Amino acid sequence: MATESSNGASIVTLKDVTKTFYRGKEPIHVLAGLDLDVPSGSFEALMGPSGSGKSTLLNLIAGLDRPTSGEVTVAGANLSRMSDGQLAKWRSQTIGFVFQSFNLIPVLTAAQNVELPLLLTDLGGADRKSRVATALRVVGLEDRMDHYPRQLSGGQEQRVAIARAIVNDPKIIVADEPTGDLDRKSADDVLTLMDKLNKELGKTIFMVTHDPAAAEKASVQRKLDKGALQ
Amino acid sequence: MVPVRYNIRSLLVRKVTTFATAIGIALVVFVFAAAQMLGEGVNRALANSGRTDTVIVLRKGSDAELSSTLDGERLNMLRSNSAVASSAPGGGVIGESVLVITAELADGSGGISNVLLRGMPADGMKFRPEARIVSGRAPSPGTNEVIVGKSISGRFEGIAPGKTFEVRRNRPLLVVGEFETGGTSYQSEVWGDLDTIRASVGRESVVSSARVRLTSASAFEGYRAAMEADKRLNLKVMREDDYFKKASEQTSGFLAGMGMVIAILFSIAAMIGAAITMNGAVANRTREIGTLRALGFSRLAILTSFMLEAIFLSLIGAAIGLLFVQLLALVSFPTMNFQTFSEIVIRFAATPAIMISSTIFAVAMGLLGGLAPAIRAARISPVEAMRG
Amino acid sequence: MNSATYARRNLSRRKGRTILTVIATAVAVLIFCAIRTVDVNFMAAVDDAMADRIATRHKVSITMQLPKRYIDDVRGIPGVTKATWGNWFDAKDPKERIPFFQGLAVDHESWFDVYDDMVVDPAQLAEWKTTPSGVIIGDKLAELFQVKPGDKLTISSGIYPGDWEFKVIGIYMPSRRTVDRNSVILRWDFLNNDPRAELVKDQIGWILTRIGGNSSSAEMSRAIDKLFDERDDQTVTMSERAFNLSFMGAFAAVLTAFDLVSIVILLIMTLILANTLAMSVRERTNEYGVLRAIGFPPKSIFGFIVGESLLLATLGGLLGCVLTYVLINLMLGPWLESGPMATMFPYFRTPPRVMALAMGLALALGLLAGLLPARRAAKLKVTDALRRVD
Repeated sequence: MATESSNGASIVTLKDVTKTFYRGKEPIHVLAGLDLDVPSGSFEALMGPSGSGKSTLLNLIAGLDRPTSGEVTVAGANLSRMSDGQLAKWRSQTIGFVFQSFNLIPVLTAAQNVELPLLLTDLGGADRKSRVATALRVVGLEDRMDHYPRQLSGGQEQRVAIARAIVNDPKIIVADEPTGDLDRKSADDVLTLMDKLNKELGKTIFMVTHDPAAAEKASVQRKLDKGALQ
Repeated sequence: MVPVRYNIRSLLVRKVTTFATAIGIALVVFVFAAAQMLGEGVNRALANSGRTDTVIVLRKGSDAELSSTLDGERLNMLRSNSAVASSAPGGGVIGESVLVITAELADGSGGISNVLLRGMPADGMKFRPEARIVSGRAPSPGTNEVIVGKSISGRFEGIAPGKTFEVRRNRPLLVVGEFETGGTSYQSEVWGDLDTIRASVGRESVVSSARVRLTSASAFEGYRAAMEADKRLNLKVMREDDYFKKASEQTSGFLAGMGMVIAILFSIAAMIGAAITMNGAVANRTREIGTLRALGFSRLAILTSFMLEAIFLSLIGAAIGLLFVQLLALVSFPTMNFQTFSEIVIRFAATPAIMISSTIFAVAMGLLGGLAPAIRAARISPVEAMRG
Repeated sequence: MNSATYARRNLSRRKGRTILTVIATAVAVLIFCAIRTVDVNFMAAVDDAMADRIATRHKVSITMQLPKRYIDDVRGIPGVTKATWGNWFDAKDPKERIPFFQGLAVDHESWFDVYDDMVVDPAQLAEWKTTPSGVIIGDKLAELFQVKPGDKLTISSGIYPGDWEFKVIGIYMPSRRTVDRNSVILRWDFLNNDPRAELVKDQIGWILTRIGGNSSSAEMSRAIDKLFDERDDQTVTMSERAFNLSFMGAFAAVLTAFDLVSIVILLIMTLILANTLAMSVRERTNEYGVLRAIGFPPKSIFGFIVGESLLLATLGGLLGCVLTYVLINLMLGPWLESGPMATMFPYFRTPPRVMALAMGLALALGLLAGLLPARRAAKLKVTDALRRVD
């Protein structure tokens, strides 16, 4: 797996980004004129109360959503101008996702869950297999390959999810409350793992969290309140 | 008891699923009701065709008018009995000639079917007080004029008012009017002059059957005994209503039997559909059910609640099915009278009893389909359900 | 692993539901096949008709008869290789043990030459030709009456009034599946010479003609009808197929109703499949959101759901075909064909083409049932899908 060097250049740039939802006819300005720069290779934590717009910001960076106005540039691509299809392809190559509730597919084994994103590539069966094995080794679960999610503990499930997030060798890992559903011990394991991904593999990590302990692991902590960065 | 509102809301929330299942049940109810309405239609057309104070006389060994022949001597014998209402039209006894003819459908399909042609003496129509002309006029006795029953008027090539058709070469029969008999099977016949019709088949000396009006319905047994006593006469004497009932049983039995078998097979599919839906309802609400149990609702209350929901679901289906089945009352359905091998056109007939039995059928489907899921719901333990 | 793995594994997620849906689909396929089999059964006589045989009957009514001398006129037409005649006997069992069977009064000299799909032992046939009161009886009817050659058999008739005593001379066997095995073949001359035949003296019900290889049945039919056009009793001649079909006229509406009903069961099947898929998709909305986030395009999601639907339909269809084969072809069919209603059901088997049709329809409707939920899931915004946690 290739490593990225932390060269300090911006990998995520948001310029004057607004995002407006409508509840019926009434507009709700979730983000209003937000600017953000995330240097390549950093590990950032985004904190803030419920309804502050954290998830919206995360969705914009991950290319799950487009801004109402403003520019979102991630890893050299201007997301504001991409179609849904282009975004999907871009996500599969650029972003690794880690969710609060793990979101593993219950009917697939750990290895098959990790293999999922590779189905979107041209890789052959043997290549996919070796990549899956590598990713599971990185998260320390190579001996759990053939286990189904229900046979794993919460912490193990999240580590499989992380393996799934890195198997495509993405530039950025986006994590939404990765420790929210875990006990302290498992949460610490996951955070240690993420720290390792950042330090050893040079992955840029952008994490939304409520957990102060998690935020502490990050190199940069940002606070979002009422749609604006503090 | 869990509030009923809870079940109604549950059905409304899952609109697509509720709708799909209800439509499935509705289709089964539709088929179930339609089969019965068809049977009822046949009953009305055939079973109501006969009267209790009238007897039909055939030659022994014949089941139907079609294969029977009686000569003039026997007709006279039938009159010579005090039980005959001699003041009735035709002196209480009319001999008729019955013929089944092949007719081409007027819809241009080239299909053919059989039509019953009845030759009757001058008093034949008066003998049946329920018969009346609805358009045109009655045929003049002794001519080539005929009238066509309203149910089949226009169905066949040449058998419509103002048109002619041939039974014998160069002797066309002219349709001068339409008649009705209150929906009975006579309404699917063509009536004409006895002599004209039997002459066209070369049987001038005989009739197919005789109808005898008795002084009262109770005179039947005596009359029959008297007429069947003489073995040389070789007669078979039946009440007219019994004769038609027998015809009706064969025909409606076939149709309703087929329909019922199909409806019951269908209900298996619909029950499985209901079971799937109710199972889904239970699975989606495991946590809710656990909460209800924790709040103190008994297993029985949960069971009842889900059974009620299944019943609602089937009632919605029954309502839709029964609503649409009413449209069938506008449809007439040609079928074969197995006794005469000719076509009778019947109408689907709805009765309250059919509506009720169809609803009960739907509810039974819902209950059977909903039982297993409801039991499953009742077995959910509050602790496990809350854990998720 | 490939994309199909996911669709396949999803079926095991709610096993109860999958099993019920597969059973429901199978039952629908079974019902569809059963209804079509009724059709096939009724049409078998039509489909099996011989191309080189044409039938002539009275133009006005199937119940009216033709003068016997017409047979000589038909035999004189060039192109006619053989012709025979028959008349209805309206046979009944005087003891009413056997509810329905057919009695045919025929020309003993030519009948089995034209109806060569009824096979009789030559020795028995020769004996019959010298025994006026003899009958040849179908193998199944002989079994029902429990008679064998040499036995006496009493049958009553409506058309030739009275009870008649016959001697069983031989048994005929069918050489094709739709030949009625419940008929008793009587000698027309024997009946016609009896005073009881008074009303049908010298009359015949129909003529069956075998035509030469290079004459068309339509041309020959026209030639025969033209011959009698100026006579009192006109005729209608048609191919055996059309002749058999004309008996179906009265059933046309019933068969149409059956067709409608078989469409209804397919509708029910589609609804059940669609319902199952709608429920599955609903439960898995969040999961589809995850797949989309990972980078699967909407068309992949669409494919997963349609694939699952097709898989369900395939399983149901296959099970349905197996059920059809076992229940109809191995159990119900043989029972009906040999039971008391054998005359009504000469050939009650589901042909492979009907099963193939049912299978094809199950797949097509499975696809249809999957389209709506699949479209809905594919159109969902990723952010909305991810928010839904059930």
